[in-house]
Amino acid sequence: MNPSNIVLYEAEYLRLKSILVMTQRDLRADLVLLIDRSGHQIAAEGPAHGIDMTALSSLAAANIAATDGLARLVGEPEFSILYHQGKHRSIHISDVAKRFSLVVVFDESVALGMVRLRVKRATAYLEEILRSFLRKTEAVPTATKAAPGSAPPIYFTDEDIDKLFSSLKPGS
Amino acid sequence: MTFINYVAREINCKIVYYGPGLGGKTTNLQYLYDITNSENKGKLVSLATETERTLFFDFLPIDLGQIRGLRTRFHLYTVPGQVFYDASRKLILRGVDGVVFVADSQEERLDANLESIANLEQNLKEHGFDIGKIPYVLQLNKRDLPNALPSEQLKKLLLVKGEPVFEAVATTGTGVVDTLKGVARQVLVELRKSA
Repeated sequence: MNPSNIVLYEAEYLRLKSILVMTQRDLRADLVLLIDRSGHQIAAEGPAHGIDMTALSSLAAANIAATDGLARLVGEPEFSILYHQGKHRSIHISDVAKRFSLVVVFDESVALGMVRLRVKRATAYLEEILRSFLRKTEAVPTATKAAPGSAPPIYFTDEDIDKLFSSLKPGS
Repeated sequence: MTFINYVAREINCKIVYYGPGLGGKTTNLQYLYDITNSENKGKLVSLATETERTLFFDFLPIDLGQIRGLRTRFHLYTVPGQVFYDASRKLILRGVDGVVFVADSQEERLDANLESIANLEQNLKEHGFDIGKIPYVLQLNKRDLPNALPSEQLKKLLLVKGEPVFEAVATTGTGVVDTLKGVARQVLVELRKSA
């Protein structure tokens, strides 16, 4: 397995999710979202209806990447927190273990100081889980990685790949 | 960086459309957006200037169907082609799983194509990727234009490693799906090899 790939199994997911649930409840946030630096959504919690989480994950990752670029331009190793304040909703984005980011969407009833406090606590927990899970991903061959009862390592044939693309209808 | 989520039963991959400015990268994504069933696609996000030139990137998530019970979701990105947006281009390559190089077949854009391939190679290297190893396809776009160079000539000049080549007219959709299939296949085969 490419060491930079991320494989998420249920045990880790549940641990990560429990931290997001705790943070969302403590803050009464609209959304608490964990993404990787490529813009993939890892886990999410919150009642934020109508937010396109795929687009949000992608834009947040791009925002982080652009901010990293800005930091380097002015001689900073990083700007570890991004905060966008809106009239009704705001977004707080912070680094988690250098490969992930925590995105919190909250409304005007939530104080920014409280967000920072809860995010700091959540980040410490998340980093612990993610670091141990990344170590496992990198150290153990995939064939032996799946725990009993969990999904088997990925396997598919050329025919399986050929069957894809049915959702694309050229000329329609 | 492929993200395999066994909880959601999903494989998530990132494909980047690279190439010189006005070569048709955004048009590729717009065509794919138009022909994909609504339940299999997300929003097409375009961060563009007022004159509709790509400023940062375009983004289109599409679901290509299931493979052994796992949904395969491809996140398609374009980069801004204009030379001076190099810093932005570099950022978009972070965590990429496969690259489509969209070449402009017009004779007067040959140098721009060559410059863009060299730029891609350099930017991939900065992210720790080797263009010789990463899933990669070449699309020769704008084949319908009268000033398009012959395909054989373009292949001789633009091929990096014997990658699959697709002739296209992105404005009408010709070759667009085949190009995506070409790169998606390579990404999945690579994933299978490493799994």
